[in-house]
Amino acid sequence: MIRRLRRLPGYVFLSVFALFSVFPLYFMVVSATNSSADVLDSRLLPGTQLLENFAKLFAEQDVVSAMVNSFLIAVGTTVLSLLLCSIAGYGFEVFHSRAKDAVLAILLLAMMIPFAATMIPLFELFANAGLVNSLIAVIVPTIATPFLILLFRQATRSFPHEIIEAARIDGVSEVGIFARIYMPTMRSTYAAAAVITFMTAWNNFLWPRVILINNDVQTMPLLISNLSAGYVTDYGVLMLAVLLASLPTMVIFLVLQRAFAAGITGAIK
Amino acid sequence: MNRNTMRRFVAVGVALPLALSLGACSSAGGDSAGGGDGDETLTVWAWDPAFNIFALEEAEKIYQQDHPDFKLEIVETAWDDLQPKLTTLAQSREYGELPDIFLMQNNAFQKNVLNYPDLFSEVSGDAVDFSEFPTSVAAYSTVDDVNYGVPFDSGTAITALRTDVLEQAGYTIDDFTDITWSQFITQGEDVLAKTGQPLLSGQAGSSDMIMMILQSAGASLFDEDGNPTIVDNDALLAAIDVYTQLVESGIFVEVNSWDEYIGTFVNGSVAGTINGTWIVGSITGAEDQAGLWAVTNLPKLEGVDGATNYSANGGSSWAISSNADVDLATDFLAATFAGSTELYDTILPTSGAVANWIPAGDSDVYAEPNAFFGGQAIFADVVKFGAEVPSNNTGAYYYEGRDAVSAAITQIMGGADPDEALAEAQANVEFAME
Amino acid sequence: MSTDVADRTRRAQPGARKPPAPDPAINRNRPWLTEGRRRSLTGWGFLLPAALLILVMSFIPMFQAFVLSMKTGRGTNLEFAEPLWSNYARLLSDEVFKLTLQNTFIYLIIQVPLMLILALVLANLLNDPHLRWKGFWRTAIFLPCAVSLVSYSLVFRTMFANDGFVNDALLGIGLIDGPINWLGQPETARFVIILGLLWRWTGYNMVFYLAALQNIDQSSIEAARMDGANAWQTFWHVTVPQLKPMILLTAIISTNGTLQLFDESWALTRGGPAYSTMSMSHYLYEVSFLKNPNFGYAAAISFVILVLVAVLAFVQMKVGDKRD
Repeated sequence: MIRRLRRLPGYVFLSVFALFSVFPLYFMVVSATNSSADVLDSRLLPGTQLLENFAKLFAEQDVVSAMVNSFLIAVGTTVLSLLLCSIAGYGFEVFHSRAKDAVLAILLLAMMIPFAATMIPLFELFANAGLVNSLIAVIVPTIATPFLILLFRQATRSFPHEIIEAARIDGVSEVGIFARIYMPTMRSTYAAAAVITFMTAWNNFLWPRVILINNDVQTMPLLISNLSAGYVTDYGVLMLAVLLASLPTMVIFLVLQRAFAAGITGAIK
Repeated sequence: MNRNTMRRFVAVGVALPLALSLGACSSAGGDSAGGGDGDETLTVWAWDPAFNIFALEEAEKIYQQDHPDFKLEIVETAWDDLQPKLTTLAQSREYGELPDIFLMQNNAFQKNVLNYPDLFSEVSGDAVDFSEFPTSVAAYSTVDDVNYGVPFDSGTAITALRTDVLEQAGYTIDDFTDITWSQFITQGEDVLAKTGQPLLSGQAGSSDMIMMILQSAGASLFDEDGNPTIVDNDALLAAIDVYTQLVESGIFVEVNSWDEYIGTFVNGSVAGTINGTWIVGSITGAEDQAGLWAVTNLPKLEGVDGATNYSANGGSSWAISSNADVDLATDFLAATFAGSTELYDTILPTSGAVANWIPAGDSDVYAEPNAFFGGQAIFADVVKFGAEVPSNNTGAYYYEGRDAVSAAITQIMGGADPDEALAEAQANVEFAME
Repeated sequence: MSTDVADRTRRAQPGARKPPAPDPAINRNRPWLTEGRRRSLTGWGFLLPAALLILVMSFIPMFQAFVLSMKTGRGTNLEFAEPLWSNYARLLSDEVFKLTLQNTFIYLIIQVPLMLILALVLANLLNDPHLRWKGFWRTAIFLPCAVSLVSYSLVFRTMFANDGFVNDALLGIGLIDGPINWLGQPETARFVIILGLLWRWTGYNMVFYLAALQNIDQSSIEAARMDGANAWQTFWHVTVPQLKPMILLTAIISTNGTLQLFDESWALTRGGPAYSTMSMSHYLYEVSFLKNPNFGYAAAISFVILVLVAVLAFVQMKVGDKRD
């Protein structure tokens, strides 16, 4: 009983924070079922306009193709980014040397420059390569991120070097150690990195809107931006679009969350 | 994630770039813009499906009557996205990616033409008769006597009021027509006292209202040579004075955001608004208020030279890009937005897109009574207002000037001395222009 | 650490002998590709793909931006400035820039520590093996960062409207007499931005700490508890030190994110009222795309941001990253 009471402040704190976190999401879901006027009136109860909002949204915008494009971009970015950055992060830590540390420090500088400043040179680069409007041009600039490299490098610090040494003595190749021992062991790091990368890629806005000129390669954030660009905004429809755009990232998180949970349970055992 | 999934993971990682590069080839092969390649397709960038894009689609149908092979490829692009796109293309000199035609905010026209003349093609005066547009409107897209745009949507300002609320306080819409601001404030206070309803609302820190009042007196933040005239500007001081009185008397409710502004009259907490005609689209969103609205002109400033009851806010024009099939684009615009009453007759009732093209105003469609506005033929009135709007010299630094004045107003409303705040605004604009 | 790894570690121990010390006498005859060299080269091979990509996608554009920062002119009429650093000198007399710098630092100083502490506390609570509804809490607190910016800004603007939920609630419990114009006044608008940042990013950082907590030695916590340490002592003396690398990482990332803050400033307040909430990156975006484009000047702003982030990251690394 005393143990329980001792946890009470923790539960109260968690409840307050969870409420703070979830309320705006609740508002988003409820608003998707309301008319524009009700949303502006901040109505907090579910309404009956969901189907109308659906019909209007799908009649006005090519939601399916935007979803597919967003999905291709987010999945492509995540897979390539995790692969590339974990290899590099592993390399920086396991083959640690002064020279490599210096390289890492320099690479980290790249993370510090605001994207708006490098956008125009990048656009020139991709335009010269004839890649305007291609999903490749959306993905490539975002896959090698110093941030993920740093994440994997930091995480690798807690990866026991003895295992690597042992594997080397057993004659496992360096690539083999990485692919067969490191990757499966670090799955919780991969899961966290995947969630983060997927979300960033899914919500990426500034670069896609510049490099994707045709509408048939539009993404969800661009579609949402178009919905609120007119003289008259239908807020119910807008909130529905926003809800649809948020679902995949939430689902990805919920799915990969199990990878975390498994890791935690395993550690407690 | 077990080792098996991991292997699949890696396999996808290898396969995906391949698949994407194939996809890239196919889309890179697609045609992005006209560029005079013989076919009769024009690419257009515009925003707002219910308004601009709807108008484009109707224009396409009309042009197709004489040109059966003609096609428009419309790329929906929000203005907030369109401007960075244009800037990026211009800055990297990738003019080949431009569409044939793009829509441009009137207030941004001068800035873009002056900074990036290579984005535009001249709109020939032989094809488009610019005398059929109000001078004040054609002026937005005219630089050094050369025209770079065909005016489309009218930003003519209106005062829209709830007649039922006015009636409660013993007024009619006529009491608010051809009046001065001091009359408006007196009556507005009376309405507020009797009904508890403020007449106006707007975003705090936005200078839309001030800019409309300023333009109604033919004044601006810049002189003919483009130098800022924010200090010692009588019309600006008068406009700020009116605005301060409106807010302090409670007639004008300051809100936080655009959404909230729309909300104030849609949910009936405010009994009117002053804005460009296009605001009608949002007003009519409140279906429960049908028949309760009326439209009239703006109050005018007293003691300021050139003061009128007419102004404008917003509006946009079609520009022909430097990458365009210029002949086809010019002919298309001349035959539709600058030459077809049929087009304006079609788009007006559905979208409320009021023409800047003067001959369109003579059409019967404009004279039709509008049930939402108690049977008033609001669009015929708006066209009449439009012809009276004084020119607004935006110059290239319109946005710098407007934002500096917005900041000054926030300070003034917070108690700062107007002269000092405006001097600081002027200094900031001059700094930006260096 | 999963049991899988632990097994392997144990198996590795008996055989874990160090490679024999190199004998200087035979060193001369050894091939060029020694074990060490080979390993070092393999290491470079691991780094190369990512490093090359960053070179092409970030450093070359960054260098171009640097050259640009020494040019002046509107639109495409850019020429080298006289003197070359005149764009940087210009920053010193730009009142709006100074204000955005001040705003950014207010966000940095208040929001980043608050957020990291909250995230740390939340992660620690969630890591308690006896806690119930773990999945629910974790999901609820993390979900905000899955939401796209438009909805979040719209929701916040609606909640903080004059007649919005927050004012209604505060009026209801009698904390205030009249509605507060939250986004219309400099201080309250900054408060809403900070709140928005906390809402969106606390869960994000919490996830990092949770991931890191998995890799720390749970038995050390149990041991501390056994020794009679209370929850706070255990947290501060046992958990936090082991989380140090992750705390350092999140601090650097958050500092970087805050100094480059754009989204919240743009979507929640448009930088207003009177530039009082505008961030440096937002100003950079304005100068580039919304006002008369002055890319040379914008590039100079971006380099100021870069230097600030670099200096702060360096300081944080010096303070937090002692390999002891």
